[in-house]
This record gives sequence, C-alpha cells and structure tokens, in this order.
Amino acid sequence: MKASQVLKNGVLPGGLAGLAGGLVLAAAMYELGRLDIFGQLAGVISQLAGFILVLAVSALLGAGFGVLVWYQRPNAGETLVWGLVYGVFWWYLGRLTMLPLLQGKGLTWDVDSARAAFPDLLGLILLGGIIGLAHVFLRRMFQVQAEAQQAGRASLFRGALAGLLSAYLLGVAADGQDQLLAFAGMAAGGSALAAWPVILLIGLLAGVGFAWLFTDSTGGAGVGLIRGIAYGFFWWVAGGLTLVPLITGSGLVWTATEVQIIFPTLPGYLLFGAAVALLYQFLGALIRLLFSEFLPGSSEEGLGTQGLRIVGRSGLAALVGGLLFSLVMWQTGFLPRVADLIGSSSPVTGFIVHLAIAGLIGLSYGILFRRQSYDVGSALGWGVSYGFFWAMLGPLTLMPVLLGGTPQWTADAAASVFPNLIGHLGYGAGLGVTFYILEARYSPWWVPRTEVQAARLERREEQVQTSGPALWTLLILLGLTLPILLAKGQGLTPVY
Amino acid sequence: MRGASNILTPAFRHDLIAGGVAGLIGGLVFWWALAAQGMAPDVPGLLGLHLLGAGVILHLLSSVLVGASFGAVLRYQPSGYAGTTSSGLLLGLLWWVAGPMSLGPLLEGAGPTWSIVEAQKVFPSLIGHLLYGGVTGLGFYIFVASYLYFRPRSEDLVPLPEVPKTRVLILGGGFGGIGTAQRLERLYSRVPGVEITLVSQSNYLLYTPMLAEVASSALEPQHISAPVRASCPHTRFHRGEVVDINTKDQVVRVRSGGSVPYEDLTYDRLVLALGSVANYFDLPGMAENSFKLKTLEDATRLRNHIIGLLEDVDVEPFDEERVSRLTFAVAGGGFAGIEAIAELFDMVHSVLHFYPTIQPPQLRFVLIHSRDRILPELGAQLGDYALRKLQARGIEFMLENRVTGAVPGAVLLGNGEILSTHTLVWTAGNQPNPLLKTLPCEKNRAGAVVVDGTLLVDGLTNVWAVGDCAQIPDPYNDGRPYPPTAQHALREGKVAAENIAAVIQGKPVKQFRFRAIGVLVGLGHRTAAAEIRGWRFSGLLAWLMWRTIYLSKLPGAEKKVRVALDWTIDLFFPRDIVVTSSLERNPILDGNPVPPASQEQPPDNGNDRTNAGDGTAGDGAE
Repeated sequence: MKASQVLKNGVLPGGLAGLAGGLVLAAAMYELGRLDIFGQLAGVISQLAGFILVLAVSALLGAGFGVLVWYQRPNAGETLVWGLVYGVFWWYLGRLTMLPLLQGKGLTWDVDSARAAFPDLLGLILLGGIIGLAHVFLRRMFQVQAEAQQAGRASLFRGALAGLLSAYLLGVAADGQDQLLAFAGMAAGGSALAAWPVILLIGLLAGVGFAWLFTDSTGGAGVGLIRGIAYGFFWWVAGGLTLVPLITGSGLVWTATEVQIIFPTLPGYLLFGAAVALLYQFLGALIRLLFSEFLPGSSEEGLGTQGLRIVGRSGLAALVGGLLFSLVMWQTGFLPRVADLIGSSSPVTGFIVHLAIAGLIGLSYGILFRRQSYDVGSALGWGVSYGFFWAMLGPLTLMPVLLGGTPQWTADAAASVFPNLIGHLGYGAGLGVTFYILEARYSPWWVPRTEVQAARLERREEQVQTSGPALWTLLILLGLTLPILLAKGQGLTPVY
Repeated sequence: MRGASNILTPAFRHDLIAGGVAGLIGGLVFWWALAAQGMAPDVPGLLGLHLLGAGVILHLLSSVLVGASFGAVLRYQPSGYAGTTSSGLLLGLLWWVAGPMSLGPLLEGAGPTWSIVEAQKVFPSLIGHLLYGGVTGLGFYIFVASYLYFRPRSEDLVPLPEVPKTRVLILGGGFGGIGTAQRLERLYSRVPGVEITLVSQSNYLLYTPMLAEVASSALEPQHISAPVRASCPHTRFHRGEVVDINTKDQVVRVRSGGSVPYEDLTYDRLVLALGSVANYFDLPGMAENSFKLKTLEDATRLRNHIIGLLEDVDVEPFDEERVSRLTFAVAGGGFAGIEAIAELFDMVHSVLHFYPTIQPPQLRFVLIHSRDRILPELGAQLGDYALRKLQARGIEFMLENRVTGAVPGAVLLGNGEILSTHTLVWTAGNQPNPLLKTLPCEKNRAGAVVVDGTLLVDGLTNVWAVGDCAQIPDPYNDGRPYPPTAQHALREGKVAAENIAAVIQGKPVKQFRFRAIGVLVGLGHRTAAAEIRGWRFSGLLAWLMWRTIYLSKLPGAEKKVRVALDWTIDLFFPRDIVVTSSLERNPILDGNPVPPASQEQPPDNGNDRTNAGDGTAGDGAE
C-alpha cells in the first residue's frame, strides 16, 4: 500500500464520506435536541460548536474507514456492511470508552450508561452506513479503474418483486401481533388500511435497493441470507427508526425506553431482510434454471451425490451443535417447552424433538452454506450468524406460531429467550465448525491436490475481502447487545 | 493424529506467537479499563485463589492463551486487517459467551442461566471482551505483517517450494488397486508431496460378485461398476495396458490409447494389483468356444448370446438343434459357477413367455464340477443345501467330472461323453496375471508373487503386491495363503497403502491380518446360502442378507441407488430381452449365400415389380 495512493483514494473519499455522514448525524442530533451536548465536549454549550464537532469527528471516522476498507472489494452493499459494523464498534470504543476518559469522568461500562448513550448508538450506525455507501461511490469516482458492475433492469425488477413479497409476509406477521402500525410509523389507533401501502412501499424500495447494492456480490445462498439480515438491520435504523417517523411526522424516537416500545420492528426488519435476500436469490435461481443456457464448468456431481454428502455431513454437524445447544436447554429447563411442539411435556421427548429440529436446520445449513468456509474462522462466522438467524426465526417467530399463537417480537420476549439465543450461538458454532471439518477433511474440494495450500490461501483472501467478517461480527454484536440494552431490568450491580 | 509435524509449520507457529503477544496487549488494555472502573477481572477468584498478584498473572496468562487461540483460528491473511480485526471482535464476543456467561457461573457453582439479568450483570465484561478482541485481532495482524515485512524471505511471501514428489504407482483397478489408491488419497489429501497414479485397462472398478446378475439381465452393466475417476478423484488415472515392469530401473511401460505407442512411467513405490485372468489349462478349443465371466464385456456377451439363442430356437425347425441350443452348461462348482447357473436358470425361465414355441421341459441346465461336492468354501451342510435346492429346480449336476475340450456346439467331458450345447460358461480356473511371470522374484505354482506379511514382494525393493496376484501368508491359518476374494483384496490394498505411507515417513510397517467375515452365495429365486463368522444361514433370510450385504459393499452411493432400483424393478417386471449386439453369422452357412428373397415370391407379381423398377438393366440386355 502506497501512502500517497491511500491518501488520495482511501483517506480523501473516506473523509468526504464522513462529512456527508456527519451532516446527517448532526441533523438527527439537532432533531433529537442533543446537538448542544456535543458542544460541551469543546467546552462551549452551543449548537454551532456541536455541529462543527460532529462534522470533525465524522470526517475523522470517515478517513479511518477509508484506510480500513482499503483492501476490501469496492462493492456498495459490502462496504455498507463494513460501515455498519464500524459504526457499532465506535459506539463501544469511542462513545462508551474514549469519550468518558476524555471528559475525565472515568469509565462506566454498565448497562445504565450504555442505555443513556443509546441514541448515539443509532446515530453512529447511521453514520457508519452513510460513510460506507458514500465512500464506495466517492472511491469509484476517484479511482477510475474500479469499474463496478451495474445492476440490470431484470435484477432490479427481481429485487422489487422479492421486496414486495417479503413486505407482504412482514405485514401479515406484524398484523398478527397488532404491530402493523409500528412498522408504518403510525400512532396506535390508526387504520391498518393506511399502514399497508407504507409497508409495501418500504418493501419495494428495500427490494430494489438490495438488488442495486449487492449486484456483484459473490457467495452462495447462505451468504446472501446473512447479508440480507444485515441489510434488514440497516433498514431498521435508517428506515424504521429514522425515515418513516420523519416522513409520517411523528418525530425521531431514539432513546432506549422509546425504542423498547417499538422493539418488535427489529426482529421484523431483520427477518424481512432475510426474506428479501432469500427470495431475490430464489427468483434468480429459478430464472437461471428455466431460461439460461448451459454454462461450461457449471455442472457438478449432480443433486443426488451432492445431496447425500450434504445430508451425511450436516447430520453429524447438527448433532454436535444440537448437543451443545441441549446443554443450555437442559440447564434452563427449556426442553419441556420444545416437547410442547408435539403435545408432550417430557424432557426426553423435548430432547428428541430438539435434535430432530437441529438436524433439519443443520440440513438447511448444509444446503445454504456448502463450500463457503475456508478456515475455522469463517466456519465459526457463518455458523454463529446462521445460529442468530434461527434464534429470531425459531423461538420468537415459528415456535409461538406452531404452538398456536402469534410471533412474539417484543423486547420482553427477546429478553426472556436470551438463554435460547446463547444456545443458538453455541449450536451455530458447533454446526459450522464440524461441517467445515467434515467438508475439508477429505481433501479440500476446491483444488487439485498439488496446489492445495496456494489455492486455499487465494480463496480465503477473496472471502476476507468481502463483507463476510463484518457480517458475522455485526450480527452477533447486535444480537447480544440490543436485548441487553432494551430489556427491562434495573438496579443491577455490574461485575466481571 | 498423523502429521503433527505438518500442522506446526513455521507459519502456524508465528501465528500462534503473534496471537499470544497481541492477546497479552489486549489483556492489559482489558485489565486497565476494568481497573479504571474499580473492577478487577476475577479469574483467580473463580479458581478459588485469593493470593495477591495471582489475579494479574492468571488474567494475563489466560489473555495470552486466548490470544494464541485467536491466532490459530484467524491465521494471518495478507491485506486482511479489516477482516482480522472484525473477526477478532467476533471471537471476543464468543469468549464473553463462553467465559463470563458460562464458565464463570459454572465455576462459582451456581450454574449458568444465560438469562438477560445475568447478561446485564456482566455487560461491562462484554465491552471489555469486545475491546480485547479488537485489539488482539488488529495486533495479531500487525505483528505478523511486520514480522513478514522485516523477514521477506519467510515462507508466506515466497511461492510454495516445489516439494520433491514421491510417485506411487498402482497397477490394476480392481478392489486391491482401488483400495490402495483410496487409502493413500486419504493419507495424503493435504500433503502435496505424494503423487498417486493408477494404471488399469478398464476405467472402472467392477463389482465382480454381481457379474452373474448382469449376465442374467437382472442388473444393468454400468450399475455394478464405479468409474476410477469418481472413486479416486485425486489419483492420476491412466487407462492402458501394462506391457512391461522393470523393477531394476523402477519404470513401467504402458500401452494406452494416445498417439504414442507406449509410455514409460517411473515410480518410487509400486503396487501390483493386477488380479487374475481365466485359466483354461490349455484344454483344446476352450478359449474359443466358451464364455468366461470376468469383465462387463463377458457378461454382456453371454447375455446377448443366450437371448440370441432363444430367438434362434423360436424359428429352428430341427429338434436336435433345438436341444443343443436349449442346453446351458457351466463348468466349475465354486461361487461364480453356482451363481452363474442359478441366475441363468432364473433369467431363461423369466423370459420364456415371450417365446411361445419353447416349453420349459425342453430347457436343460448342466453344471460340471470336478469334485464330489459343490461350493467347497461353504462347508458340507450348506453345499448339500445348495445342491438340493438347485437340483429340485431341475438343474443337472455332473459331479466328479470335468470338461476336457470344446468345439462349436458341443463340450467334451472327462468320462468320454459329449454334451451337445452352444453355451459353456467357464468358471473352473483362474490364474494370476501372466505379466507377473516376467518379474525377477519368487512366485508360487499358480504364478502369484510371494509377499511377506507386510505385503512387500520377496526379493524386490519398493514393490508391494495385493489381491489375486499375490500370495499372502495368513498368520491365523499357519501361514497358508489368503483366499483370492474381493473382501481380502480391499483390505490388503488399505494395508499396502498404510505401509507405503509408513515407509515414506520412516515409521514401522504393520502386518496384514484379516479374518474373513463370511461368505455368501446367491442361489437365485430368492434363496441363498451364507456363512458369517461361523453362523450358517440359508433360504430367504440368507437371500435378504446376501442382497443387503452386496448392496452395502457396492462402491458409491449412486450405484447403490441404481442397483436397488434395478432389483425393485426386477421384482415387478420380466427381465429385458433386448439383444444389444448384431446378429452373429452362422458358421455352418458361411460360404452358402442366402438366395435373394424375390425368388420365393409368387412369380407373377414379383416379376412385374422387378421389371417395372429396373429399366436400365432391361435396356442393356437387349
């Protein structure tokens, strides 16, 4: 990396992107009435000082971001994900750690301080997202050779269709919990009929946006799914918590207690993002299957051989993950609830049902994440990310529905199934790593044996340049942080 | 675990060290941040230690260890600092879940609850772990990157050196050869230093125990064979015929289908798995006038021949000819012979309804065997059972008799009789591949190379031999040779591969020891006989076992599915009578051309048509 190059093509666009993000952040802070608080840092209680400080800090963060993603692929969607994780990380490092130190207040890492700083978390995520998006376009402008593939009209249409369908599913699930209005940014008591167009419009925009952002992203269906969840999260912050309230005129509600009320929109948006990604890819695969010409080199061993291999590997991997998870279930006494799915209350039945479910989910992992892990690190990453996905889809959504209820997306529900989230992460880790070991055991499949190490390095490097590592971290970080911050619970003494 | 020395490469070692050092720094940051809040990481408290200073030491020690585990998981990835830092955060989070959320409560004796309240209590530690992960990830990257920057000649920046290759050459694609190649692939899948090459005349592994069923139209030929390239994806496959083995210069000459007449393959280690060929003991006319059952081609040829005969008999006017064409003889009362006669019997009877002029009593099935008892490998009881069963169906047995020669349409027997038949299947003799005779080593009477207990050929260096072409001493049986069966060959191949690997790595070799699991023979019509670990089975139960075991031993999942489907179809539909070869010329009629069909047409119409269509010929005659 040449210093002058990095300055011109990395730091400069990054700084400019930071300024752009800073403007949005400052506007949001102004709207929230928090701008002058930033002024205090400069020793002056004034909106202007706060504005200048926000811009300066944002520009600095943007410049740092330019260096961070210097080697990453200049893909819009992937850089967006990097931006999001960058924003969250700075909340922890900058807002919760460095700022108190600079102010001479001393560190306080407890939940209450973190809750008080919750609006800044949303602000920094928004800032990170905007920095990511702006940076990638500025970098393309500065760096002529970085030609990006443009989304074709067909894929935009596909995205729109996927978005509309997902929005419909989201609306149905939300309506079942009487949360439809929350998604549309409307006050309680409004008409559901008015909420539907808003939700469908969000779906349309999000779908088209997905197709546009992730046009030349690589990776299989599973990677796309995880990407979709991160994308859904961006929509939750940028859309659900920012744009929708601004447009409907209800004003920004960014404090922890306020977000707690509309918490159901979070699992909603995450699952919505996942649905957009899956449908988008499913439609793509369908189109390829029906209309595409034969591509040389695209043929593989055939569905039977491949399928049997997946069943064998994912079965064993799911058993390992499922046993890890069952430790949590056994310890927390959750097994009888699982048994309830087939109308029993015995822990043994629960254990069997649990293993059966673990096997099915493991199978889907095998199908979605085949040949995506290149080392233990990425195996862990995809595994726990998929575990997080099921933590939202399983105990919060499918299980209550199968037990005859509606999805439970509230903050309280999310807090009460926190042990389950931990269990899902353990399951995902066991599943991902075992699957990887089995997959790579019999000679790495992607190379002729003589160039094993060289080619592995190359493939791994490619994945490192995508948003993979950022996706894993973003999902798990949010999955752990948000329930902790948004659950009701006070008067706790923090310990190590 | 094999190859511990391979895992601890210099690259892995510096990843571990850099991870540990970065972990130490991360741990210090973590310590300082918590101390600044008046909290102290309580690792030693968890372990019941309350000594002054023990806290710092244990905390830093665990930080170093966890950091090293980061290094082991993340591994250094050039220009991947963003990914490494981000993954470091993730690993930090996972450690928070594993440590303060799970291990901490466990060590305190309370047991983890993983509840939100618990999580909120240890939230400060989450931030600490996050910082620790980020610092460790980034620090790890920086350390390795600077190490490589200051030592540019170290391993990751230079292209992988050309590892001197050990060439293992396997001759033969039967169970022995494939078994060797598969085990070698597994042993060396991640080591680029060993190159495995397999030479075979056919590009598939044939599951010979099912060959009789192909001959009887019950199974499709391809379904009982697995391509070598699919079974051994990382072996270099060479389809060709071995014409010479030079053990002195360690080179093998192979004739293959390319534009060059032959190719010389050098080797460092050689495995002979050339199998056996039919042995006719120089009996007159046998090679030309009998069918053998060794290859797919043999089985298909026999099948076409038999259905062709049925077609012929359907239009055959002379009774004598009908009798000889409807007589089917098999020489040899071992497994292959018994399965062949039983399957042929089933097939012919299953398709007889297509040939209305043939009546079941006209059919004759004869088995000729030199001893007084069939199936000597199975023991008297089961041998008698098989004999009884097959005789009850109408199969004739000529025991203590032998075939002494064959001419077209007849077989000469040892007792002077002549058996009129157009079908003689020869299963009465096999011999090791004749090519082995050229090798400068000890051979037994049949021509198999003599090997020691580790499968190394006596008198040759770097040459191993497995399967039918080797005489291997059985330590469980006073050193008598192992029988030439597929189950033995497969295991011999594995041991040969392991011994080759041991020799390459300078480790001790092992002896081949194997107790045969059992023997099974299908007797057709849903009966079989089996002896497994001394237990004897017969009838339907044995037949079910026979099918299940044969199916499970068939190489590859795909072929298993196909054969299972074939068998299922066979339960519901008659066997196929499509003849896939062209009509064979009848040698008796050769030289007597068949007159044109037009002469047998009624004279008036036929002539008119001929003249009308052939103006030029008429003109020339005039």
